[in-house]
Amino acid sequence: MILELLIGGVIALVCGLDRVAMLQILVSRPIVAAPVTGLLLGEPLIGLQVGVMVELLWLARLPVGAAVPPDDTQVAIAATVLSITLGHQLEALSVELMLLSLLVALLVGKVGQYFDHCARNYNSILPVQTDRALENGLFGRAQLLHLRGLLSFSAAALLTYFTIVTCGLLLIPPIWPWLQISMSYSAGLLQLALPLIGVAVILGTINVSRAITLFCASFGMAFLLMWLVQP
Amino acid sequence: MNLVLTRIDNRLIHGQVLEAWVPHVQANCIVVADDVLAANSLKKLMMKASVPSRMRVEIGTIADVVRLLLANTLESYRILLLFATPADALRAYRLGLKYEQLNLGNLHADAGKARFSCTVFLDVEDLDDLQTLEEAGVRITARCIPADTDRPWRRLIPGPRGADS
Amino acid sequence: MRLGWQTRLHVWFRLLFLQASWSYQRMQGLGFLFALLPGLRKIYSEEQMREVSLRHAGYFNTHPYLAPLVVGAVLKLEEERAIHGEDRSIDIDDFKEIVAAPYAAIGDALFWGGLRPLVAGITLFFAVKGIVWAPLIFLLVFNLFPFWFRIVFFEYGYRHGIKSVAYIQEHNLPDWAVRIKEAAVVVLGGLCAFMVFSHLLDHQLPSWPGLLALVPMILLGVGARRGMSTLLLIFITCTIIIVAGIFWIDVALFLKL
Repeated sequence: MILELLIGGVIALVCGLDRVAMLQILVSRPIVAAPVTGLLLGEPLIGLQVGVMVELLWLARLPVGAAVPPDDTQVAIAATVLSITLGHQLEALSVELMLLSLLVALLVGKVGQYFDHCARNYNSILPVQTDRALENGLFGRAQLLHLRGLLSFSAAALLTYFTIVTCGLLLIPPIWPWLQISMSYSAGLLQLALPLIGVAVILGTINVSRAITLFCASFGMAFLLMWLVQP
Repeated sequence: MNLVLTRIDNRLIHGQVLEAWVPHVQANCIVVADDVLAANSLKKLMMKASVPSRMRVEIGTIADVVRLLLANTLESYRILLLFATPADALRAYRLGLKYEQLNLGNLHADAGKARFSCTVFLDVEDLDDLQTLEEAGVRITARCIPADTDRPWRRLIPGPRGADS
Repeated sequence: MRLGWQTRLHVWFRLLFLQASWSYQRMQGLGFLFALLPGLRKIYSEEQMREVSLRHAGYFNTHPYLAPLVVGAVLKLEEERAIHGEDRSIDIDDFKEIVAAPYAAIGDALFWGGLRPLVAGITLFFAVKGIVWAPLIFLLVFNLFPFWFRIVFFEYGYRHGIKSVAYIQEHNLPDWAVRIKEAAVVVLGGLCAFMVFSHLLDHQLPSWPGLLALVPMILLGVGARRGMSTLLLIFITCTIIIVAGIFWIDVALFLKL
């Protein structure tokens, strides 16, 4: 279990840095981060399902300027780790447990934004020190100061990840027996609903006139086509 | 005139305005009132190049923009009005452009400016200008993007605080 | 005096760390200097470096994928400035300030607002189908375009200096962003239809009620437009589904009895 959490932590670190601080090759998107986590923990399909559900949720929130979107990366990684770890522990590697882990992660994941803010606030000391270093001609030090920002972003990513995982490990086992039955009736629908909510939010906020018309036309046509070719 | 949003943002037209505010308030015309920008043709050109062509963009000095808006030539548009500083916003108000609400977006850090939220940095003169506007009846709130909560600017004053979204 | 390819590669590589010290005061300012340093060192002497580097450590923010274009152009301008002395036509700081916000707006619309949902939508078809390679498809398809921007435009900026802005002006990228977004909406429409249809098929339910899924989706979309947060929408929907799930069985049993 400890090993599983640590593997998740490494992924959380790499993906968390990709989010803002470096590279930006988008390994931080849930559709990448969650399946990779699942793959490394031996349950690729669980990761893939988590990725599908989280990917669209906050896709409409763009990282524009100083705006910090909700940390979907850590939510996706932590939810995958939780559903696999707890799945082994409670002997219930199931869609229901995955959904419960995800809902808890979504709630607790709100702290991600707070930690991200803290990291960016903490970085405020770097410009002052850099200016001083540059005035003294210490260019090497200025470079190191810039890279020191990676530390605060790493800390934010890891704190978010471990907060979600800790809350999940403490919360889910006691409530699982209560919710197990009721979740089983709604699991299928919930699994469908989450991506649809994400798409709905995108439709509501995307900068396209007539987004709803386009969407409905495409939805209707695809639906009818599938109905036509259905055996 | 139909002002759907009046905002102070020293970056003027950028991602937050185009990707978050324009769809939220469903604006179809962006008006920028900035003397410096109006005098710089390359900058004006670049600003216009960053906006999709279906949106109308008007860039002018504060006096020009006030005249344009009061002349009601943009009657059929939903207008998003941008200022760079509180002083500009006050000047436009004094020239007769009576807007009811004012949104504080990005006012970035500079020497002598104190921090009021993550993106709002103000000095004493800015505070005075905003206060004058408020006394004239303008509702001033700080909100970076529509997904943030709308906070009256007075609430920012007691002390710098961190998380705001 | 022209910078060698090794130096340019070094600068380009450092651009991957552009936002490492992102702060509310300077945003990407320090990262910009960090990327530029290897180039500046080749251009300026130790005494001049102090003044130049302080100048470049100031406030700067643009889209990370378009930053290479700015850095390339600034390298060129600094190079010319070092050769010809203080500039004739444009101040380098002004150039940075002029292009930063428009490039940010273009990049945000093109990559975050347009390409990301489009590629995510396409990838999810594979993921919903259970193909484990879906993430790889996402990474490859998405990064194609940004890396083309990051590599080609860095060189383009370095070749053309201040004239590099002409490319952006001529090609009307914001309109392309709108087109990509429209494509994304269409793809997402198809994706939703596919997900709803396969859900109904899996549960052996009749398929026509699937079209009704549009109603709650539009309601949620309107809620989002009104400023309701995603988390709130999720919890309203999940509560309704879970509660309905519990009582649905009772209703079904009652009807059968």
